[in-house]
Amino acid sequence: MVSGLHPRRLNEALAAMADPGVIALAGGTDLMVGETETERRFLYLHNVREMRGLRETPDHLVVGAATTFTEVLESPLAPPLLKEAVSGVASPAVRNAGTVGGNVANGSPKADSALVLMVVDAVLLIASARGERLLPVADFYLGGKKVDLASDELIVEIRLPKSRLAPHYYCKVGGRRALAISRLSFAGLFRQERGRIRHLAAAFGAVTDVIFRDRCLESMLVGLEIPEAKKLRQDFLAAYGAALVPTSGRVSKEYRRSVALNLLGDFLTVFGV
Amino acid sequence: MTYSPPPIVPAGMTPPAEPLMTPPAAPPAASPGPPAPLEFVLNGESAVYAGRGDARLLDVLRDVFRLTSVKCGCREGECGACAVIFNDRLVNSCLVPAGMVALGSVTTLEGFRETERFAVLDRAYARFSAVQCGFCIPGMVLASEALLRRNPRPSPAEIREGLSGNLCRCTGYNAIVEAVTLASKEGEGLW
Repeated sequence: MVSGLHPRRLNEALAAMADPGVIALAGGTDLMVGETETERRFLYLHNVREMRGLRETPDHLVVGAATTFTEVLESPLAPPLLKEAVSGVASPAVRNAGTVGGNVANGSPKADSALVLMVVDAVLLIASARGERLLPVADFYLGGKKVDLASDELIVEIRLPKSRLAPHYYCKVGGRRALAISRLSFAGLFRQERGRIRHLAAAFGAVTDVIFRDRCLESMLVGLEIPEAKKLRQDFLAAYGAALVPTSGRVSKEYRRSVALNLLGDFLTVFGV
Repeated sequence: MTYSPPPIVPAGMTPPAEPLMTPPAAPPAASPGPPAPLEFVLNGESAVYAGRGDARLLDVLRDVFRLTSVKCGCREGECGACAVIFNDRLVNSCLVPAGMVALGSVTTLEGFRETERFAVLDRAYARFSAVQCGFCIPGMVLASEALLRRNPRPSPAEIREGLSGNLCRCTGYNAIVEAVTLASKEGEGLW
Protein backbone atom coordinates (compact mmCIF):
# COMPACT_ATOMS: atom_id res chain seq x y z
CA MET A 1 0.00 0.00 0.00
CA VAL A 2 1.58 3.24 -1.15
CA SER A 3 0.20 5.43 1.57
CA GLY A 4 1.21 3.10 4.43
CA LEU A 5 -0.98 2.58 7.45
CA HIS A 6 -2.76 5.58 8.98
CA PRO A 7 -4.51 4.46 12.16
CA ARG A 8 -6.56 7.00 14.09
CA ARG A 9 -6.97 4.98 17.26
CA LEU A 10 -4.40 3.28 19.44
CA ASN A 11 -5.98 -0.18 19.21
CA GLU A 12 -5.73 -0.05 15.40
CA ALA A 13 -2.09 1.00 15.65
CA LEU A 14 -1.27 -1.79 18.11
CA ALA A 15 -3.02 -4.38 15.95
CA ALA A 16 -0.92 -3.26 12.98
CA MET A 17 2.29 -3.44 15.05
CA ALA A 18 1.79 -7.20 15.45
CA ASP A 19 3.18 -7.48 11.88
CA PRO A 20 6.97 -7.49 12.27
CA GLY A 21 7.36 -5.95 8.80
CA VAL A 22 5.71 -2.71 9.91
CA ILE A 23 7.86 0.22 11.06
CA ALA A 24 6.28 2.78 13.39
CA LEU A 25 6.95 6.36 12.28
CA ALA A 26 5.99 9.38 14.36
CA GLY A 27 7.74 12.41 12.86
CA GLY A 28 10.20 10.69 10.54
CA THR A 29 13.11 13.06 11.22
CA ASP A 30 15.40 10.20 12.24
CA LEU A 31 13.98 7.31 10.20
CA MET A 32 14.06 9.24 6.94
CA VAL A 33 17.74 10.15 7.15
CA GLY A 34 18.63 6.68 5.93
CA GLU A 35 17.48 5.11 2.69
CA THR A 36 16.79 1.43 2.02
CA GLU A 37 16.84 -0.74 -1.10
CA THR A 38 13.55 -2.40 -0.27
CA GLU A 39 10.44 -0.42 0.49
CA ARG A 40 9.71 0.17 4.16
CA ARG A 41 6.10 -0.18 5.29
CA PHE A 42 5.43 2.67 7.66
CA LEU A 43 2.76 2.86 10.31
CA TYR A 44 2.10 6.59 10.70
CA LEU A 45 1.39 7.63 14.26
CA HIS A 46 0.67 11.34 13.74
CA ASN A 47 -3.11 10.84 13.68
CA VAL A 48 -3.39 8.41 16.61
CA ARG A 49 -5.59 10.32 19.04
CA GLU A 50 -4.33 8.65 22.24
CA MET A 51 -0.74 9.56 21.36
CA ARG A 52 -1.28 13.26 20.70
CA GLY A 53 -1.06 16.35 22.85
CA LEU A 54 -0.47 17.23 26.49
CA ARG A 55 -2.85 16.75 29.41
CA GLU A 56 -2.73 16.93 33.18
CA THR A 57 -3.68 14.42 35.84
CA PRO A 58 -3.56 15.28 39.57
CA ASP A 59 0.07 14.11 39.84
CA HIS A 60 1.41 14.06 36.31
CA LEU A 61 1.86 16.02 33.13
CA VAL A 62 1.16 13.51 30.37
CA VAL A 63 2.77 14.03 26.96
CA GLY A 64 1.46 11.88 24.09
CA ALA A 65 4.38 10.13 22.43
CA ALA A 66 3.47 11.48 18.98
CA THR A 67 3.31 15.09 20.21
CA THR A 68 5.62 17.28 18.13
CA PHE A 69 8.23 19.54 19.69
CA THR A 70 6.35 22.54 18.27
CA GLU A 71 3.18 21.41 20.03
CA VAL A 72 5.13 21.19 23.30
CA LEU A 73 6.40 24.74 22.77
CA GLU A 74 2.87 26.00 22.04
CA SER A 75 1.25 24.23 25.00
CA PRO A 76 0.44 26.21 28.16
CA LEU A 77 0.80 22.94 30.10
CA ALA A 78 4.44 22.28 29.19
CA PRO A 79 6.86 23.18 32.01
CA PRO A 80 9.65 25.72 31.36
CA LEU A 81 12.39 23.07 31.60
CA LEU A 82 10.83 20.98 28.84
CA LYS A 83 10.21 24.04 26.68
CA GLU A 84 13.77 25.22 27.14
CA ALA A 85 15.20 21.88 26.04
CA VAL A 86 12.78 21.43 23.16
CA SER A 87 13.37 24.97 21.84
CA GLY A 88 16.99 23.94 21.24
CA VAL A 89 16.07 21.00 19.01
CA ALA A 90 17.36 21.54 15.46
CA SER A 91 15.11 24.07 13.68
CA PRO A 92 11.43 25.02 13.35
CA ALA A 93 10.85 22.62 10.43
CA VAL A 94 12.37 19.71 12.38
CA ARG A 95 10.44 20.66 15.53
CA ASN A 96 7.22 20.69 13.46
CA ALA A 97 7.75 17.01 12.61
CA GLY A 98 9.92 15.48 15.35
CA THR A 99 8.18 14.07 18.41
CA VAL A 100 8.97 13.54 22.08
CA GLY A 101 8.27 9.79 21.81
CA GLY A 102 10.54 9.48 18.79
CA ASN A 103 13.28 11.33 20.65
CA VAL A 104 13.10 8.71 23.40
CA ALA A 105 12.65 5.65 21.16
CA ASN A 106 15.70 6.68 19.12
CA GLY A 107 17.83 5.74 22.12
CA SER A 108 20.40 8.49 21.68
CA PRO A 109 22.12 9.95 24.76
CA LYS A 110 22.10 13.30 22.90
CA ALA A 111 18.30 13.49 22.65
CA ASP A 112 17.37 16.92 24.02
CA SER A 113 13.91 16.11 25.36
CA ALA A 114 14.99 12.72 26.75
CA LEU A 115 17.46 14.51 29.05
CA VAL A 116 14.53 16.30 30.66
CA LEU A 117 12.54 13.07 30.99
CA MET A 118 15.52 11.47 32.72
CA VAL A 119 16.07 14.27 35.23
CA VAL A 120 12.40 14.44 36.22
CA ASP A 121 12.06 10.63 36.55
CA ALA A 122 9.43 10.34 33.84
CA VAL A 123 7.60 7.07 33.30
CA LEU A 124 6.74 5.63 29.89
CA LEU A 125 3.43 3.94 29.11
CA ILE A 126 4.32 1.22 26.62
CA ALA A 127 1.63 -0.85 24.92
CA SER A 128 1.17 -3.68 22.48
CA ALA A 129 -1.80 -5.81 21.46
CA ARG A 130 -0.65 -8.11 24.29
CA GLY A 131 -1.13 -5.49 26.99
CA GLU A 132 0.51 -2.44 28.50
CA ARG A 133 3.23 -1.68 31.04
CA LEU A 134 4.75 1.29 32.83
CA LEU A 135 8.50 1.70 32.67
CA PRO A 136 10.70 4.39 34.25
CA VAL A 137 12.52 6.10 31.41
CA ALA A 138 15.87 5.32 33.07
CA ASP A 139 15.14 1.60 32.66
CA PHE A 140 14.17 2.05 29.01
CA TYR A 141 17.77 2.68 27.97
CA LEU A 142 19.78 -0.52 27.85
CA GLY A 143 23.02 1.02 26.56
CA GLY A 144 24.55 1.38 23.12
CA LYS A 145 21.33 2.76 21.59
CA LYS A 146 19.48 -0.41 22.63
CA VAL A 147 16.10 0.22 24.23
CA ASP A 148 13.57 -1.91 26.09
CA LEU A 149 10.89 -1.93 23.39
CA ALA A 150 9.66 -5.09 21.68
CA SER A 151 8.98 -5.08 17.94
CA ASP A 152 5.21 -4.98 18.48
CA GLU A 153 5.28 -2.29 21.18
CA LEU A 154 4.69 1.46 20.99
CA ILE A 155 5.48 4.18 23.49
CA VAL A 156 2.01 5.64 23.99
CA GLU A 157 2.62 8.46 26.44
CA ILE A 158 5.19 9.88 28.81
CA ARG A 159 4.23 10.80 32.37
CA LEU A 160 6.19 13.56 34.09
CA PRO A 161 5.66 13.86 37.88
CA LYS A 162 4.49 17.43 38.54
CA SER A 163 6.33 17.57 41.85
CA ARG A 164 9.65 17.20 40.02
CA LEU A 165 9.33 19.84 37.31
CA ALA A 166 10.98 22.82 39.05
CA PRO A 167 13.13 24.64 40.04
CA HIS A 168 15.47 23.75 37.24
CA TYR A 169 18.77 24.49 35.56
CA TYR A 170 19.37 23.64 31.90
CA CYS A 171 22.20 24.15 29.44
CA LYS A 172 22.91 22.71 26.02
CA VAL A 173 26.35 23.14 24.47
CA GLY A 174 26.26 22.82 20.68
CA GLY A 175 28.43 23.98 17.80
CA ARG A 176 25.92 26.74 17.05
CA ARG A 177 22.51 27.85 18.24
CA ALA A 178 20.34 26.10 15.65
CA LEU A 179 20.67 22.78 13.83
CA ALA A 180 23.22 21.57 16.36
CA ILE A 181 23.46 18.15 17.92
CA SER A 182 24.39 18.49 21.59
CA ARG A 183 28.10 18.30 22.30
CA LEU A 184 27.02 18.12 25.86
CA SER A 185 23.82 18.91 27.70
CA PHE A 186 22.94 19.22 31.35
CA ALA A 187 19.70 19.44 33.28
CA GLY A 188 19.42 19.80 37.03
CA LEU A 189 16.61 20.05 39.56
CA PHE A 190 17.08 21.64 42.97
CA ARG A 191 14.42 22.08 45.64
CA GLN A 192 15.03 23.36 49.14
CA GLU A 193 12.73 23.93 52.06
CA ARG A 194 13.69 26.23 54.94
CA GLY A 195 17.33 26.17 53.90
CA ARG A 196 17.53 22.39 53.62
CA ILE A 197 18.02 20.58 50.31
CA ARG A 198 15.01 18.34 49.74
CA HIS A 199 15.61 17.18 46.19
CA LEU A 200 18.55 17.28 43.82
CA ALA A 201 18.82 15.61 40.42
CA ALA A 202 21.53 16.02 37.77
CA ALA A 203 21.42 14.50 34.28
CA PHE A 204 24.14 14.71 31.63
CA GLY A 205 23.48 14.19 27.92
CA ALA A 206 26.08 13.16 25.30
CA VAL A 207 28.69 12.12 27.85
CA THR A 208 28.15 8.37 28.17
CA ASP A 209 26.23 5.99 25.89
CA VAL A 210 23.06 6.55 27.88
CA ILE A 211 22.03 9.78 29.56
CA PHE A 212 24.02 9.83 32.81
CA ARG A 213 22.43 10.03 36.24
CA ASP A 214 23.81 8.76 39.54
CA ARG A 215 21.26 8.82 42.34
CA CYS A 216 23.87 7.80 44.88
CA LEU A 217 26.00 10.88 44.14
CA GLU A 218 22.91 13.10 44.09
CA SER A 219 22.02 11.94 47.59
CA MET A 220 25.35 13.28 48.96
CA LEU A 221 23.78 16.72 49.30
CA VAL A 222 20.13 15.84 49.95
CA GLY A 223 18.97 16.54 53.48
CA LEU A 224 21.82 18.99 54.15
CA GLU A 225 21.49 22.66 54.97
CA ILE A 226 23.02 24.98 52.39
CA PRO A 227 26.17 25.86 54.45
CA GLU A 228 26.85 22.14 55.02
CA ALA A 229 26.34 21.45 51.32
CA LYS A 230 28.79 24.25 50.49
CA LYS A 231 31.47 22.52 52.51
CA LEU A 232 30.89 19.34 50.51
CA ARG A 233 30.81 21.12 47.16
CA GLN A 234 34.37 20.22 46.15
CA ASP A 235 33.95 16.59 47.21
CA PHE A 236 30.68 16.43 45.30
CA LEU A 237 32.29 17.75 42.11
CA ALA A 238 35.28 15.42 42.56
CA ALA A 239 32.97 12.43 42.94
CA TYR A 240 31.24 13.33 39.69
CA GLY A 241 34.64 13.87 38.09
CA ALA A 242 35.52 10.27 38.94
CA ALA A 243 32.14 8.86 37.89
CA LEU A 244 31.83 10.64 34.55
CA VAL A 245 33.80 8.60 32.05
CA PRO A 246 32.91 9.92 28.60
CA THR A 247 32.56 7.56 25.65
CA SER A 248 34.44 8.40 22.46
CA GLY A 249 32.57 10.84 20.28
CA ARG A 250 32.90 13.60 17.75
CA VAL A 251 34.02 15.97 20.50
CA SER A 252 36.95 15.02 22.72
CA LYS A 253 36.37 13.20 26.00
CA GLU A 254 38.41 15.75 27.97
CA TYR A 255 36.36 18.65 26.63
CA ARG A 256 33.06 16.96 27.39
CA ARG A 257 34.14 15.95 30.87
CA SER A 258 35.35 19.42 31.82
CA VAL A 259 32.25 21.10 30.39
CA ALA A 260 30.05 18.62 32.27
CA LEU A 261 31.77 19.44 35.56
CA ASN A 262 31.69 23.18 34.87
CA LEU A 263 27.95 23.00 34.30
CA LEU A 264 27.44 20.95 37.44
CA GLY A 265 29.40 23.55 39.37
CA ASP A 266 27.39 26.38 37.83
CA PHE A 267 24.17 24.55 38.70
CA LEU A 268 25.22 24.44 42.37
CA THR A 269 26.29 28.09 42.29
CA VAL A 270 22.97 29.20 40.81
CA PHE A 271 21.15 27.53 43.71
CA GLY A 272 23.50 29.01 46.31
CA VAL A 273 25.70 25.98 47.01
CA MET B 1 29.70 11.20 -3.19
CA THR B 2 27.36 9.62 -5.70
CA TYR B 3 23.68 9.67 -4.98
CA SER B 4 21.16 7.18 -6.31
CA PRO B 5 17.59 8.29 -5.85
CA PRO B 6 15.01 5.65 -5.07
CA PRO B 7 13.08 4.50 -8.15
CA ILE B 8 10.15 6.84 -7.88
CA VAL B 9 9.23 6.70 -11.53
CA PRO B 10 8.63 3.01 -12.22
CA ALA B 11 10.88 1.45 -14.87
CA GLY B 12 9.49 1.84 -18.37
CA MET B 13 7.52 4.95 -17.46
CA THR B 14 8.85 8.13 -19.05
CA PRO B 15 8.77 11.12 -16.74
CA PRO B 16 6.20 13.62 -17.97
CA ALA B 17 7.40 16.89 -19.48
CA GLU B 18 4.54 18.93 -18.05
CA PRO B 19 3.51 19.18 -14.40
CA LEU B 20 1.47 16.10 -13.88
CA MET B 21 -1.10 16.32 -11.15
CA THR B 22 -2.58 12.90 -11.86
CA PRO B 23 0.02 10.40 -13.07
CA PRO B 24 -1.24 7.30 -14.83
CA ALA B 25 -1.76 4.26 -12.66
CA ALA B 26 1.49 2.52 -11.75
CA PRO B 27 2.23 -0.97 -13.08
CA PRO B 28 1.23 -3.79 -10.73
CA ALA B 29 3.44 -3.90 -7.68
CA ALA B 30 5.63 -6.91 -7.02
CA SER B 31 4.72 -6.88 -3.35
CA PRO B 32 1.50 -8.50 -2.18
CA GLY B 33 -1.73 -6.60 -2.60
CA PRO B 34 -2.72 -4.16 -5.30
CA PRO B 35 -1.09 -0.72 -5.09
CA ALA B 36 -3.48 1.78 -3.59
CA PRO B 37 -2.57 5.18 -4.98
CA LEU B 38 -2.08 7.96 -2.52
CA GLU B 39 -4.27 11.03 -2.75
CA PHE B 40 -3.37 14.43 -1.38
CA VAL B 41 -3.80 18.10 -2.09
CA LEU B 42 -0.84 19.67 -3.85
CA ASN B 43 -0.81 23.43 -4.28
CA GLY B 44 -4.56 23.53 -3.90
CA GLU B 45 -5.35 20.80 -6.44
CA SER B 46 -5.97 17.14 -5.89
CA ALA B 47 -3.00 14.93 -6.70
CA VAL B 48 -2.43 11.20 -6.93
CA TYR B 49 0.86 9.38 -6.42
CA ALA B 50 1.45 5.66 -6.94
CA GLY B 51 5.17 5.10 -6.28
CA ARG B 52 7.02 3.97 -3.20
CA GLY B 53 5.36 5.09 0.02
CA ASP B 54 8.68 5.46 1.79
CA ALA B 55 10.18 7.69 -0.91
CA ARG B 56 11.14 11.14 0.27
CA LEU B 57 8.46 13.73 -0.46
CA LEU B 58 11.35 15.85 -1.80
CA ASP B 59 12.05 13.33 -4.58
CA VAL B 60 8.38 12.82 -5.37
CA LEU B 61 7.75 16.55 -5.69
CA ARG B 62 10.77 17.06 -7.94
CA ASP B 63 10.83 13.88 -10.03
CA VAL B 64 7.15 12.96 -10.33
CA PHE B 65 5.41 16.31 -10.07
CA ARG B 66 8.27 18.37 -11.57
CA LEU B 67 8.05 20.97 -8.83
CA THR B 68 11.69 21.96 -9.03
CA SER B 69 11.49 24.90 -6.64
CA VAL B 70 11.95 22.22 -4.00
CA LYS B 71 15.75 21.97 -3.78
CA CYS B 72 17.83 19.09 -2.55
CA GLY B 73 20.68 20.29 -0.36
CA CYS B 74 21.49 17.71 2.29
CA ARG B 75 18.79 14.99 2.56
CA GLU B 76 19.05 15.05 6.35
CA GLY B 77 17.07 18.07 7.49
CA GLU B 78 20.07 20.31 8.01
CA CYS B 79 19.69 22.92 5.27
CA GLY B 80 16.02 23.78 4.70
CA ALA B 81 16.36 24.00 0.89
CA CYS B 82 13.58 21.41 0.47
CA ALA B 83 11.19 23.04 2.95
CA VAL B 84 7.51 22.91 2.04
CA ILE B 85 4.34 23.59 3.97
CA PHE B 86 2.50 20.41 5.00
CA ASN B 87 -0.83 20.85 6.75
CA ASP B 88 -0.02 24.45 7.70
CA ARG B 89 3.44 23.63 9.13
CA LEU B 90 6.87 24.10 7.59
CA VAL B 91 8.64 20.75 7.15
CA ASN B 92 11.76 19.52 5.40
CA SER B 93 10.38 17.43 2.55
CA CYS B 94 13.53 15.26 2.55
CA LEU B 95 12.44 13.87 5.92
CA VAL B 96 8.79 13.32 5.04
CA PRO B 97 7.87 9.96 3.51
CA ALA B 98 5.45 10.34 0.62
CA GLY B 99 2.95 8.08 2.38
CA MET B 100 2.70 10.50 5.28
CA VAL B 101 0.94 13.18 3.22
CA ALA B 102 -2.02 10.92 2.33
CA LEU B 103 -5.18 13.05 2.48
CA GLY B 104 -3.09 16.02 3.66
CA SER B 105 -2.18 19.27 1.95
CA VAL B 106 1.24 20.26 0.60
CA THR B 107 2.25 23.70 -0.63
CA THR B 108 5.45 24.39 -2.54
CA LEU B 109 6.67 27.71 -3.84
CA GLU B 110 4.90 26.96 -7.16
CA GLY B 111 1.60 27.15 -5.28
CA PHE B 112 2.54 29.91 -2.87
CA ARG B 113 3.75 32.27 -5.59
CA GLU B 114 0.16 32.73 -6.78
CA THR B 115 -0.69 34.55 -3.55
CA GLU B 116 -0.67 38.23 -2.61
CA ARG B 117 1.55 37.41 0.36
CA PHE B 118 4.16 36.01 -1.98
CA ALA B 119 4.07 39.23 -4.00
CA VAL B 120 4.84 41.19 -0.83
CA LEU B 121 7.73 38.88 0.11
CA ASP B 122 9.01 38.93 -3.48
CA ARG B 123 9.18 42.74 -3.52
CA ALA B 124 10.80 42.85 -0.08
CA TYR B 125 13.47 40.27 -0.94
CA ALA B 126 14.21 42.19 -4.17
CA ARG B 127 14.33 45.54 -2.37
CA PHE B 128 17.18 44.32 -0.11
CA SER B 129 18.91 42.15 -2.74
CA ALA B 130 18.26 39.25 -0.39
CA VAL B 131 18.69 36.73 -3.19
CA GLN B 132 22.05 35.88 -4.67
CA CYS B 133 22.49 32.36 -6.07
CA GLY B 134 18.88 31.60 -5.21
CA PHE B 135 19.24 27.95 -4.21
CA CYS B 136 18.01 28.44 -0.64
CA ILE B 137 15.33 30.96 -1.57
CA PRO B 138 12.26 28.76 -2.17
CA GLY B 139 12.75 27.22 1.29
CA MET B 140 13.63 30.60 2.77
CA VAL B 141 10.47 32.21 1.36
CA LEU B 142 8.25 29.38 2.61
CA ALA B 143 9.93 29.60 6.03
CA SER B 144 9.21 33.36 5.97
CA GLU B 145 5.56 32.63 5.12
CA ALA B 146 5.31 29.98 7.87
CA LEU B 147 6.80 32.44 10.38
CA LEU B 148 4.53 35.34 9.38
CA ARG B 149 1.42 33.14 9.53
CA ARG B 150 2.04 32.56 13.24
CA ASN B 151 3.71 35.84 14.04
CA PRO B 152 2.74 38.66 11.63
CA ARG B 153 5.07 41.23 13.28
CA PRO B 154 8.21 39.31 14.26
CA SER B 155 11.22 41.02 15.83
CA PRO B 156 14.59 40.58 14.06
CA ALA B 157 15.49 37.94 16.68
CA GLU B 158 12.24 36.07 16.00
CA ILE B 159 12.93 36.21 12.27
CA ARG B 160 16.39 34.71 12.81
CA GLU B 161 14.82 31.99 14.94
CA GLY B 162 12.07 31.35 12.38
CA LEU B 163 14.60 31.04 9.55
CA SER B 164 17.23 29.22 11.61
CA GLY B 165 16.69 25.95 9.76
CA ASN B 166 17.39 27.50 6.36
CA LEU B 167 21.04 27.83 5.45
CA CYS B 168 22.24 30.46 2.98
CA ARG B 169 25.88 30.59 1.91
CA CYS B 170 25.61 33.85 -0.08
CA THR B 171 23.87 36.61 1.78
CA GLY B 172 25.05 36.44 5.36
CA TYR B 173 21.35 36.57 6.31
CA ASN B 174 21.11 40.27 7.22
CA ALA B 175 19.44 41.22 3.94
CA ILE B 176 16.96 38.37 4.37
CA VAL B 177 16.08 39.46 7.91
CA GLU B 178 15.54 43.02 6.65
CA ALA B 179 13.41 41.73 3.79
CA VAL B 180 11.13 39.78 6.13
CA THR B 181 10.89 42.80 8.43
CA LEU B 182 9.85 44.94 5.49
CA ALA B 183 7.37 42.32 4.24
CA SER B 184 5.72 42.18 7.65
CA LYS B 185 5.18 45.96 7.51
CA GLU B 186 4.14 46.19 3.86
CA GLY B 187 1.90 43.16 4.15
CA GLU B 188 -0.09 44.66 7.01
CA GLY B 189 -3.30 42.68 7.33
CA LEU B 190 -2.29 39.93 4.91
CA TRP B 191 -0.90 37.66 7.62
